[in-house]
Amino acid sequence: MSTPTHLTRAISVIAHVDHGKTTLSDRLLEYTGTVAPRDMVEQVLDQLDLERERGITIKAQAVRMLYKADDGNTYQINLIDTPGHVDFSYEVSRALAACDGAILVVDASQGIEAQTLANVHQALDHNLTIIPVVNKIDLPQGNPELVREEIEKVIGLPAETVIFASARQGIGTKEILEAVVHRVPPPTGDSAAPLRALIFDAKFDAYRGVVTYIRVLEGTLRPGMRIQMMQTGKSFEVDEVGIFRPERTPVDDLTAGEVGYLIANIRNVRDSRVGDTVTDEARPAAAPLPGYRHVTPMVFAGLFPTDTEQYQQLKDALEKLQLNDAALIYEPETSAALGFGFRCGFLGLLHMEIVQERLEREFNLTLLGTAPTVEYRVKLRNGEEVPVDNPDHLPDPGEIEAISEPMVLATIVVPSTYVGNMMELSQERRGQFLNMEYEPGDRVVITYRMPLAEIIHDYYDQLKSRSKGYASLNYELVGFEEANLVKLDVLVAGSPVDALSMIVDRSKAQQQGRRLAEKLKTLIPRQLFEVPIQAAIGGKIVARETVPAMRKDVTAKCYGGDVTRKRKLLEKQKEGKKRLKRVGNVEIPQEAFMAVLSLD
Amino acid sequence: MERIHSLYLHVPFCTWVCKYCDFNAYAVLEGLISPYVDALSHEIDRAVAQVPIGPVDTVFIGGGTPSLLTTPQVGQILDRVRAVGLAPGAEITLEANPSNVTSETVDGWLQAGVNRLSIGVQSLQPDALRFLERLHSGPDAIGAIRTARAGGFANVSADLLFGVPGVDLATWHETLDAVLAEGVQHLSAYELTVESGTRLGQEVRTGLVRMPGADDQLEQYWGAAARLEAAGYDHYEISNWSRPGFACRHNLAAWNYQPYLGCGAGAHSMFRLDDSSTERRWNLKGPHAYIRKVSATGHALDGSETLSPARARGEAAMIGVRLLAGTGSAHDFPVQRQELVSAGLLVEEAGQVRLTRRGVELANQVGAAFLG
Repeated sequence: MSTPTHLTRAISVIAHVDHGKTTLSDRLLEYTGTVAPRDMVEQVLDQLDLERERGITIKAQAVRMLYKADDGNTYQINLIDTPGHVDFSYEVSRALAACDGAILVVDASQGIEAQTLANVHQALDHNLTIIPVVNKIDLPQGNPELVREEIEKVIGLPAETVIFASARQGIGTKEILEAVVHRVPPPTGDSAAPLRALIFDAKFDAYRGVVTYIRVLEGTLRPGMRIQMMQTGKSFEVDEVGIFRPERTPVDDLTAGEVGYLIANIRNVRDSRVGDTVTDEARPAAAPLPGYRHVTPMVFAGLFPTDTEQYQQLKDALEKLQLNDAALIYEPETSAALGFGFRCGFLGLLHMEIVQERLEREFNLTLLGTAPTVEYRVKLRNGEEVPVDNPDHLPDPGEIEAISEPMVLATIVVPSTYVGNMMELSQERRGQFLNMEYEPGDRVVITYRMPLAEIIHDYYDQLKSRSKGYASLNYELVGFEEANLVKLDVLVAGSPVDALSMIVDRSKAQQQGRRLAEKLKTLIPRQLFEVPIQAAIGGKIVARETVPAMRKDVTAKCYGGDVTRKRKLLEKQKEGKKRLKRVGNVEIPQEAFMAVLSLD
Repeated sequence: MERIHSLYLHVPFCTWVCKYCDFNAYAVLEGLISPYVDALSHEIDRAVAQVPIGPVDTVFIGGGTPSLLTTPQVGQILDRVRAVGLAPGAEITLEANPSNVTSETVDGWLQAGVNRLSIGVQSLQPDALRFLERLHSGPDAIGAIRTARAGGFANVSADLLFGVPGVDLATWHETLDAVLAEGVQHLSAYELTVESGTRLGQEVRTGLVRMPGADDQLEQYWGAAARLEAAGYDHYEISNWSRPGFACRHNLAAWNYQPYLGCGAGAHSMFRLDDSSTERRWNLKGPHAYIRKVSATGHALDGSETLSPARARGEAAMIGVRLLAGTGSAHDFPVQRQELVSAGLLVEEAGQVRLTRRGVELANQVGAAFLG
């Protein structure tokens, strides 16, 4: 089983979302015989049901393949599949840090997109050898030649290094494997040195506790060793080390350069943080590996059970989910309108959606999520600074000296035709124009500095719709900036609904209030009585709409078989109503709480 | 099981299936009628042996168009019912199409034992009749009522439809007044309802037909209610009015959650079991399948469901509130009752609840409150 270091490789596959990363990984597994074709489930590496259904990768996965190359040697190739979504870019960065090379997949019809660039920059930052692959060359609308040229001009990788492939049809698989063994350098670490292993993922196993995904960069890891996490300082005794083929397979040790896992009776993924360095407690390394970052949530939202009796179940579910998701944070929250729930922090909107969906699906809960918001920093007149991640908790305007909001550097890649639309949109969203570069293949890279709050308010969907789907976006947090912000409140049937409050730019507040009221009017179903909806800024009503009372709901005939039919219909309607949240005596659907996200 | 005193018999044949109809009805299957009547007779004989039934107090022969049967065929069926035992003064209703009502048929029905005739007038207005695809004219319909009364029916009901596209309030009132002038004992006025599986449903979906708005529908409804009340009719169910003493006893029994036995294609039965649960059963819908199954096995059961006592109570209340004089069926739902009273949909009197005017307009919301 043991492979000499010079025949070991560690690579990652990077790509913009949907460019075929996971399908390509599947082909590599198949070609190397790691997974027998008959066991091949489409997308082997996406293990959560949700990942397979949505066709996205949420958690990084790793697998060891053995490849007999044309030179006669059998190589050990460690493949790490990474999440493709911007919410998980830190995870991508850690996975890349665990590799020596990267296969860059670019879709032959889509070309280079914002995340392609972001991923390439990350790979270059880690000094990885990049193997460019143009995928989906079998698609009639593709233009592989043009994309190859783009790769040379935009990324600077020589055109002759580009491999043409179709992961769906298995074209180019062998060429990619040959390139991996010949172009990617073998690991250089010393197996006799003090242990330094990088954690690039972790997942919770109900029977074994946390399974920590690592790459050993220096030293050797064996069962029985006492290890220490260099950032958290916590120590554990290793029960088992192993590799992924792709199922977990225990081995005697993991030496420098190898990728695998360790199990050490760790009960919570928080004690096994992505980016942390594992060392030998008895013979610790002098310094941890660089690049560790404490993952902080970017967006916050309230999660409330629609049925108040599910509160305890929600609490238990969050606890369990957190064992497996170190990025998820939560704390109890009480809303006058929605009752008892939790304020949760997420990496981004996708992460939020996934968490809510998993809670509902895996724990059988019916939840109401409030609109996501960013975390503001509020400077008070008394000199104190407080973080505010819930608009309703914004202090009284009289106490506020200044409010700062998180800013991002947004990179948009778009065909030149849509540049005007992109700039218009970004300007509307308080973006500060930074730079614009024309690239070959009719591509323009535009960068803006803009508030994160604007990004989470439907910016991405607008970007897509105003570019006929061509624009792609990547963003990273770059700090906080003072802004002129106010709180917009909503009253439904005369009572304030705290969960509908939002923090908005003062100059747009009135207009936003009007739009929000109009939108809520369309989203709140007719009730037995008329329901006024008002938007208010600092106690002053700026907009008013009315949901008229339900006019008529009566079945004319009710005989014989009609009874069963009618009862079933009414029961079904009633079941649907369980998704509504009763605030006072008004029933409000989930969509209404998300209305603030799309007011354009 | 609670003893059954009501019997529903279904005749699924029509000369033409109107575009709004979603009842169990089939056009032009005349060659089937005779074997169907035999099968129905056979099913009645077998069914009454399985359940505690009789004396039978109400019989309702509905459809489809039961008046397509010959009068001897009606007699054949009612003979089977008589074999079970009829209560003195039993109400025996037959649904009839105006075109089938002649002095001969009227005489034959009375001879067979029918004592209540429910005539499908629907409208008197030519455009409305054309829209509804009814094959009779307004004068045919008035003539049918007169013939039935002159021939000896002392209990005649007319069915009308309002909310028909193109029919304004004044025209609707004209139709209603003309029918009332004939002195019917009972009147059902139904809002034309768009059912998804019908041709009308498709026409509305594709925008070919535009239905009147809720305000117009309600104006016609309450307009009718006022005229009927002024004419001395009692509004006893959402869509039903009668002269004192002429409420349809068969339907009243069902709305009061009394059990009934249904025979014929697609017919539903409702049984009340000893533990207060409710069993509903229904027959195969297609006449061919029905005949085959009955010939082979003596029954044509297609499916059934049993409602727990709690769900049955909810269903009883859902149906019971349709009775506008009030119902005790919501007794076990104090919380819901209170909410509906404060929402202005119900009033509570002497241990009973009844719908307010607003409650009638939102009767489904009221009914739903009592369900699961």
